[in-house]
Amino acid sequence: MFSKDAIKLYVLGLSLLGLTAFVFFRENTTDWRDYQAEFRDFVSEKFGPERAEQIPSGVQQIWVKDLDRVDRCVTCHQATEWKGLETAPNPYRTHPKEILEKHPLTAYGCTSCHGGQGFSTTLPDAHGNVEHWDEPVLGQEVSEAYLIKNSKALMEMNCNACHRYDRETKGMDYINTAKNLVEQKDCRACHTINGRGGIIGPDLTFEGEKPTEQFDYGRLTGRHAVFAWQVAHFQNPKMVSPDSIMPNFGFSSQDAQALALLVMSWRKEPIPASYISGVQLRDVPTPEEIAREKEMLEGEGAFFVQNKCFVCHSVSSLGVNSAAKIGPDLSDAVVDVQNRFGRTLDDFLMDPTGTMSVVLATQIPLTTEQRHQAIALLKVAYQRKLEQQIKSASPSPTPAGK
Amino acid sequence: MATEEISETKTSLLGTLREKLAFKATWEKLTWTWKPETKREAGDAIVRNFILHWFPAKVSLESLSWGYSFWLGTISAVLFLILTITGGILMFLYVPSVERAYLSVKDLEFSTSYGWFLRGLHRISAHLMVAVVFLHMVRVFLTGAFKNGRKAVGQNRPLNWIVGVVLLLITLLLSFTGYLLPWDQLAYWAITVGTNIASSAPVFGDPTRFILLGGTTIEQATLIRFYVLHCFLLPLATFALVSYHMWRVRKDGGLACTEKRYEEAKKQEHPAIASKTYSLLGITGGSAVDVQNVMIDDEKDKVPSSPYLTVRLAVVTLATLLISILLTLLVRAPLEEAANPAVTPNPAKAPWYFLWLQELVTITTFTVGGFTINGALIGGIILPGVLVVAAVLWPYFDKSPVSSIGRWFPKERQWQNRIFLIIVAAILVLTFIGTYMRGPFWEIYMPWQEWEQTPRRF
Repeated sequence: MFSKDAIKLYVLGLSLLGLTAFVFFRENTTDWRDYQAEFRDFVSEKFGPERAEQIPSGVQQIWVKDLDRVDRCVTCHQATEWKGLETAPNPYRTHPKEILEKHPLTAYGCTSCHGGQGFSTTLPDAHGNVEHWDEPVLGQEVSEAYLIKNSKALMEMNCNACHRYDRETKGMDYINTAKNLVEQKDCRACHTINGRGGIIGPDLTFEGEKPTEQFDYGRLTGRHAVFAWQVAHFQNPKMVSPDSIMPNFGFSSQDAQALALLVMSWRKEPIPASYISGVQLRDVPTPEEIAREKEMLEGEGAFFVQNKCFVCHSVSSLGVNSAAKIGPDLSDAVVDVQNRFGRTLDDFLMDPTGTMSVVLATQIPLTTEQRHQAIALLKVAYQRKLEQQIKSASPSPTPAGK
Repeated sequence: MATEEISETKTSLLGTLREKLAFKATWEKLTWTWKPETKREAGDAIVRNFILHWFPAKVSLESLSWGYSFWLGTISAVLFLILTITGGILMFLYVPSVERAYLSVKDLEFSTSYGWFLRGLHRISAHLMVAVVFLHMVRVFLTGAFKNGRKAVGQNRPLNWIVGVVLLLITLLLSFTGYLLPWDQLAYWAITVGTNIASSAPVFGDPTRFILLGGTTIEQATLIRFYVLHCFLLPLATFALVSYHMWRVRKDGGLACTEKRYEEAKKQEHPAIASKTYSLLGITGGSAVDVQNVMIDDEKDKVPSSPYLTVRLAVVTLATLLISILLTLLVRAPLEEAANPAVTPNPAKAPWYFLWLQELVTITTFTVGGFTINGALIGGIILPGVLVVAAVLWPYFDKSPVSSIGRWFPKERQWQNRIFLIIVAAILVLTFIGTYMRGPFWEIYMPWQEWEQTPRRF
């Protein structure tokens, strides 16, 4: 009994050793290692072994925190930002440069435009044409399935996530066509899009968010896919949903595909505002605010603004408005000074007492000439004030509460 | 017999090979820190060792046999050990937050070194553990091993059976709480179905679901609750109860199959020992009181635990590990789309070991004249509740003779075994139907019938 058990133990032990070796083998012979080795050979041949040595090995990734994306595509597509491999075979080809200038990899990653499964490090999973992953790489394979000539057209759907509010975007021909059609055919007559439009048809603002299960594929031949449904629906609405009252616009198949891409791009994905094309991240002043600022800087009271008097004093009759209003309004300084200090304005400003003596000695050192200028302007201000008082006494008083 | 076995070892194939290779001393230094030379030393080896001390110094041959227990309890314990180790490592890699849980599992699958292996092994071992613990219970019932015999003082096998039933329930809970953690569609909706069944209990249903979920919907509060239960409280409870379970096996006189030998020995006539007895009336001839005690010859029927039990234990451990790893390599652990409360998969299924309940719910839901009876209460709460209570109470109503203990399919227990097997078969059939034959809209699909295409975006 014991020796039989001992033999079992040895057999099991050896089998386990074998299995452990197999697990080790499987972990260390992944496809991406082959691609990296091949790329190193490729570079070594083309640019010499020194360049090849600098190529990083191991899983590579681009982490875009703002978009919550991790894209490991660069593990195999290592030449993305290289120079001189523009015509090399994939996955060793340089990415077209122009688009990357405005959309750097570090800020956008790969999958936000191309689709696919960024986490993945195996080809079928990464390219995303697998079960339980609904964002395949929008390239040749899918384009061929739908007989779309331009294999980059489908990708425009992803571009439009950020370019949604553009009227027209350079290089996005399909989406531009579709946006044009939306205006031409006046889709908003029936549908609300981005908060604007009719209520006869369903709101399309987040049409791209509708789960795949919510479409009726019963009358569709071929693959059960939202894109196929949308294209068929644009070409003949009653064919896919008999109860629909949407008219048949007789769209060409290319137009229908473009429109399908457009509505599918209308998703709820959380994108930081800084990524959305056309959004201004600035505190823009209103026209009134601009006019008021201009009056203060260039109007009759500009002297008081330029010399910082307005920090404490308003000169309301000259349109100078102090935010702090620590000191009295200088519009009636001519009489006010007399009342407060028993001296004339000219006298006081040439030789001030109290707070003003400190301020003029330390904060606002005015020359004698400037003091004369101030006195002259304050006299004008008083003049204006009297004029305004006469005006307001006439039958059109300012409404109460203003 | 035992002596023969030991001498057999010495002349075994590998033994001779080692001797012939003439590095026996070195080999033994490498493989044994200390090799017992006598039976007494072998016994000491067990008693002195911290890990091995829960075994008796000597163990009967029938307890060691493959065919009686199938070592199902040991296999469960080994699986629990695998789960503890893989789970411990996974805790370093998994983030129990709604935002990150799914992504961290994706990372395990694709970028963490051996992450796919750890997760796969943990998952397979968990499924196996549910199955093996259930089979262990089936074995104990069929062999009547929950019955007290006459062998040891202070036997309480029914209590240990109840501990076992509780351990089965904890195993199910462990698996159920782990099911949610990947936070994918499979996880989310399985827990939705499971907790909805729980909520149909009268009075306590909704509060139970509320406490379990930490709210009314499956959200962050649920995830962290399930995580703490899964990684801390339930394993702790399992560890404590398994320790008690093992200790009770020793206290109850070992495996129930050893009761048989006691009965057999008792049947043999023992000549009464003639002696003088002091009675109240003075000295009389006759036999002394209580001398008919059964003597079982330990030397004849038992072998030292070291190496017989320890080696077999090692065989079981390695075999369990081997099968788990093999299955891990053959079956890829699924990871569906990230959990999405807005999209219900069709069909939405509970974890496989609760699918018999989901089937029962379906069967007990019917409409009588526009009045629908919701099966969740009958099929989901009352029936399984009755089964658990029956399981707990069964040993106390089992009046079969002691001679039926520790034997497979004894005649005396054939009726209760038949009833039990019918229930087991029903559970298995319902589980099979729920797992393999329920398609979209919970319609019956034959395994060879194709389901409707799953719709995709492109």
